[in-house]
Amino acid sequence: MRCDTRLVRAIILLAAAPAAFAQRWEFGGGAGFGFYTSRDVHGESGVASARPGNGLSASAWLTNDTGRRLGGEIRYDYQRGDMRLSSGGTTAGFGGQSHAIHYDFQLHFAPKDARTRPFLAFGAGAKIYQGTGTEVAYQPLNQIALLTKTTDTRPLASVGFGVKTRAGKRLGLRFEVHDFLTPFPDKVIAAAQNAKVGGWVQDFVATVGLSVLTAQ
Amino acid sequence: MLRKLLIGAVVLPVLCGGAAWGATFGKVVAIGGAASDLALDEARGYLYISNFTANRVEVMSLANNAIQTSINVASQPSALALSPDGRYLVVAHYGNFAAPASPVNGITVIDLSTGGKQTFALGNPPLGVAFGLDGLALLVTSQEFLLFDPVSGSTQTLNTVSGLTPNTLPQAPASFPPNIVAASIGVSGDGLHMYGLTDTFLFSYEVNSRTLSVVGYVSQPPQGPRVVSVNRDGALFLAGWVLRDSLRRDLAEFPNATGALNVGGHVFDSSRNLIYAQIPDSTAPNAPPALQILDSDNLSVRERLLLPENLAGKGVLTSDSNTMYAVSDSGVLVLPVGSLAQAHRVAASQEDVVFRGNYCDRRVSTQQITIMDPGGGNTAFSLATTTPGVTISPSSGVTPATVKISVDPNAFQNQKGTAAATITIASGQAVNIPRPIRVLINTKEPDQRGTFVNVPGKLVDILADPARDRFYILRQDTNQVLVFDGTNNTQIAALRTSNVPTQLAITFDRRYLLIGSNNSQIIPVYDLETLQPQAPVVMPPGHYPRSIAASAKAILAACRVAGSTHTIDRVDLISRTAVELPSLGVFKNSVNINTNLVASPNGSSILAVSADGTVMLYNANVDSFTASRKDFTALSGAYAASAYDQYVAGNNLLNSSLVPIATFETSTGQSSGFAFVDAMGLRTTAGNASGPGVIQRIDSSTGLVFRATRIAEAPLVGDANYAFTRTIAPLYSRNAIVNLTTSGFTVLPWAYDESVAPPRIDRIVNAADLTPALAPGGLVSIFGSQLGPVNVATQEIPLPTALGDSCLTVNGMPAPMLFVSPNQINAQLPFETNGNVTLILRTPGGVSDNFNLTLLPGAPSVFRSGVAGPDTNLATIVRDANNTIVTPSNPVHRGDTLVIYATGLGQTSPPVPAGVPAPADSLAGVLVPPKVDLGGTPLTVLFAGLTPGQVGVYQINVTVPKNAPTGLSVPLTISQGAASTSMNVRVID
Repeated sequence: MRCDTRLVRAIILLAAAPAAFAQRWEFGGGAGFGFYTSRDVHGESGVASARPGNGLSASAWLTNDTGRRLGGEIRYDYQRGDMRLSSGGTTAGFGGQSHAIHYDFQLHFAPKDARTRPFLAFGAGAKIYQGTGTEVAYQPLNQIALLTKTTDTRPLASVGFGVKTRAGKRLGLRFEVHDFLTPFPDKVIAAAQNAKVGGWVQDFVATVGLSVLTAQ
Repeated sequence: MLRKLLIGAVVLPVLCGGAAWGATFGKVVAIGGAASDLALDEARGYLYISNFTANRVEVMSLANNAIQTSINVASQPSALALSPDGRYLVVAHYGNFAAPASPVNGITVIDLSTGGKQTFALGNPPLGVAFGLDGLALLVTSQEFLLFDPVSGSTQTLNTVSGLTPNTLPQAPASFPPNIVAASIGVSGDGLHMYGLTDTFLFSYEVNSRTLSVVGYVSQPPQGPRVVSVNRDGALFLAGWVLRDSLRRDLAEFPNATGALNVGGHVFDSSRNLIYAQIPDSTAPNAPPALQILDSDNLSVRERLLLPENLAGKGVLTSDSNTMYAVSDSGVLVLPVGSLAQAHRVAASQEDVVFRGNYCDRRVSTQQITIMDPGGGNTAFSLATTTPGVTISPSSGVTPATVKISVDPNAFQNQKGTAAATITIASGQAVNIPRPIRVLINTKEPDQRGTFVNVPGKLVDILADPARDRFYILRQDTNQVLVFDGTNNTQIAALRTSNVPTQLAITFDRRYLLIGSNNSQIIPVYDLETLQPQAPVVMPPGHYPRSIAASAKAILAACRVAGSTHTIDRVDLISRTAVELPSLGVFKNSVNINTNLVASPNGSSILAVSADGTVMLYNANVDSFTASRKDFTALSGAYAASAYDQYVAGNNLLNSSLVPIATFETSTGQSSGFAFVDAMGLRTTAGNASGPGVIQRIDSSTGLVFRATRIAEAPLVGDANYAFTRTIAPLYSRNAIVNLTTSGFTVLPWAYDESVAPPRIDRIVNAADLTPALAPGGLVSIFGSQLGPVNVATQEIPLPTALGDSCLTVNGMPAPMLFVSPNQINAQLPFETNGNVTLILRTPGGVSDNFNLTLLPGAPSVFRSGVAGPDTNLATIVRDANNTIVTPSNPVHRGDTLVIYATGLGQTSPPVPAGVPAPADSLAGVLVPPKVDLGGTPLTVLFAGLTPGQVGVYQINVTVPKNAPTGLSVPLTISQGAASTSMNVRVID
């Protein structure tokens, strides 16, 4: 957890640097839905498809436009949904959720005083996966992988695009799609003895949000 | 506390009135004369008592049970009744004086609302009076039945009475109203039905239709006490010692009634389906007065309470069924039957205590029972036995109390069977007569076959179902047929019978069970598919069907008949009636009272055997008796009929003409049971009740015994009242032969006498992980061959030291056993053994070779009995957080508390005897503490010791530190002394 704390402090410092030159701030939040890609777990008794839980997401952000077209934001994303493990006709589920915190640079395709501003985003941070289900003595497919009530912190890369539009003098609307990439969370979805899983997992999240804008 | 004392001060004098026999139930209210009748006036709070000799009606307050006033009336008030509206009290005066005195018979009508009295003269002595719901009083005199209207004073003659001669006055000293006044009337609670009893006839009167019905009777002994009690709806009434239904059919009788007219009494409690009765017993003439609490359908005795004095006539019950008032020797007895729970009583928690000694265990054995007050009170008691070798500790105390009964098997070692000792319960405080405790001590030897099952009570007959894998046992003392499942010998039902059941029979179509009895004139019938009661068979008046047999043609019943001639009756199951056969073929229908019937399995014949030596044969093909002989001066014991025209009566084998063709040996004891199986016979004998029994295979063509085998305990034998016994039941499934024996029944395998090879032990491992690590007190599994004749698992606690005829010793000490089968035994090693030891197994086949073992002081082994879905043999490590076994999907978390179940952790403090569950109130910790580590990180051991309530099972409670290593497969190691065991678990944050 100490490592995680350092990561968070670094992200906050990174966010604070452009703030020194800030001319406009944006505070906002949104909701959406996230879809994970799955990974195969290879065990002695077969292969199972594993992924964290698809589900509703919620985000909060603090954005700063440092230049005419360049900006950046620090944001927090929460998503919950049952982790899934499936092989053949057998499926195992286990309650899960994730917390992500990251800093994204934003490149806008319109000046900051434009009513509508498409943008690209890219950044990095960390994501914490948590198994929240009820542990039971027997879980289907436990010879391949185990859905676990524990916490797994993984580095995160973020890319995305979206569009911001003004809904009032101080109010903005935002629609965006992000792809959050992390290494496979192999503590909450642990490969069983003599089984292997690896690679990266993607979480595609579509979000609609509202922002409050400060004066320029 | 003060309140409690005050309640006690009020209640105790009522509950414990007299002191003639120690504590007694009820309070005597003396009236200074002889009470003849009672009437309850709950609206005014009075009980009216007719004082026959003092010529007055005593008025007793129900509030304080004291005589408040006395109403002077004309001479000899013999009966009284209160009108339904409570206004009129009608008093009958019995004045049948011999000449030269003038008769002064009459009735007095007392208007209770005004106090006015009016007297009417009668021509004949009045014997009883009762009011119906219509407000008219039925008046019975020595010559007529009258209806009397108390409003108008008019009378109407319903019918005349014949055959009744009224006693004349004066009578000899020590005569009482029931001896003088020759009738009693009872009224149902709804006021619509009346029943009456005189010396020569019974009568009933229906109030709505005003119909009177009279039927004569002859009874020996007389039908005393002279009381008639009727239940609420008039469906049942008790006249003297006979329970009858509304058609006056004899449903049940009190056995051994003296017939005394002036001793005893009874009343129905319809709200509880009970009868409270005192009926003096001719077999116990010196017994203290006792009130019996009985089931109202068949007179099964539930409880007996000591009375301060004899009841002496009519009883009445308050509308709330809480208080019974009864005429008694001094006047009236007040019996708070609804407050019985507040009276001191004492009883044992179980009827029988069974000690199964064996040839491996000659130590003193101890069992616990509880002595309690059924009402929950604290009642002083004492226990006593006269049997040497049985000790009781403590032998006195206050309920509730746990008492230890110890038996030294050496005191019974020469019995070789089951000795029955009696522990009597006495209490100076208790008002009840507690049933004694039967202590059964079995000391069989290795060659004695069979496993006995305890069934308390007096068992008198056994019958295998010919179409179902069941058998039926007749328990006479509780009027029940106990139904057992033949596959596992467990009781599956209890069927109610009539009073004092004597024999069972199954109809030839195998559908119905019929039950004979000695004290009822009906035959209860049960459907064997549903075990539900059917309409009973009603016997001719005075006929008691003691024995029943069903052939393919006829169902016959050998009856005790009230009178001098006992008969065989023919039962018609269609009409549910029976008739006395006019003759038994060419022979008179007169049989010995002690006659039993048995049908051949193919339904072709019925054998009748009589204690006077007579045998008779009914042939179903000709539907008549075809043979009768008397080649013996007396017969007793077994009786049986084969499908091959052979019969057994006592020790004699008879041919189809009932000519004796062989006599069985008698050296092994008294004849008990015989059963034909195919063309062979099985015969049991008993030398004495506490010795071993013997079962023999008999060549039924010659009568020769060709194999005799001792069985675990003696089969039952007959007595003077019931000379013949049926004690063998070969089951329909041919899996077992069940025998009625001293403790209940003994089950023998069908091939019980097959030679058995001596046991051979191949391997002994601990029962947890099946490794050779063993320690004192640990549970072990023994593998080999011929380890036991049957598969038996026990539920007994403490664990028995012999099971299924097998027993184990370790260095000569008996090892408690949990399971026995031919190839595996599970047992507990004694705690006292250590180091190099020798284990020996004894079975009916012989003694095993010595098996040498080394026991370590501690050899922990974790049970692999855990199951999770399809995963089995999991280590029994339980996470305290969710009380679920640890598995990869329920991994150990850092910070968890784990409970590890194991065996083989050795001796404990305090010590717990082998076979006994560990106590919960004083935890038994191990003497050598174990160390537990997880991946090399030590875990804190919170507790290591025996699991409370379990035998030989230990638990180790540990906490997992925050720095414990994580991983999919982390070794969890338990070490104790030089021994250790390890298993892998998954550990996560």
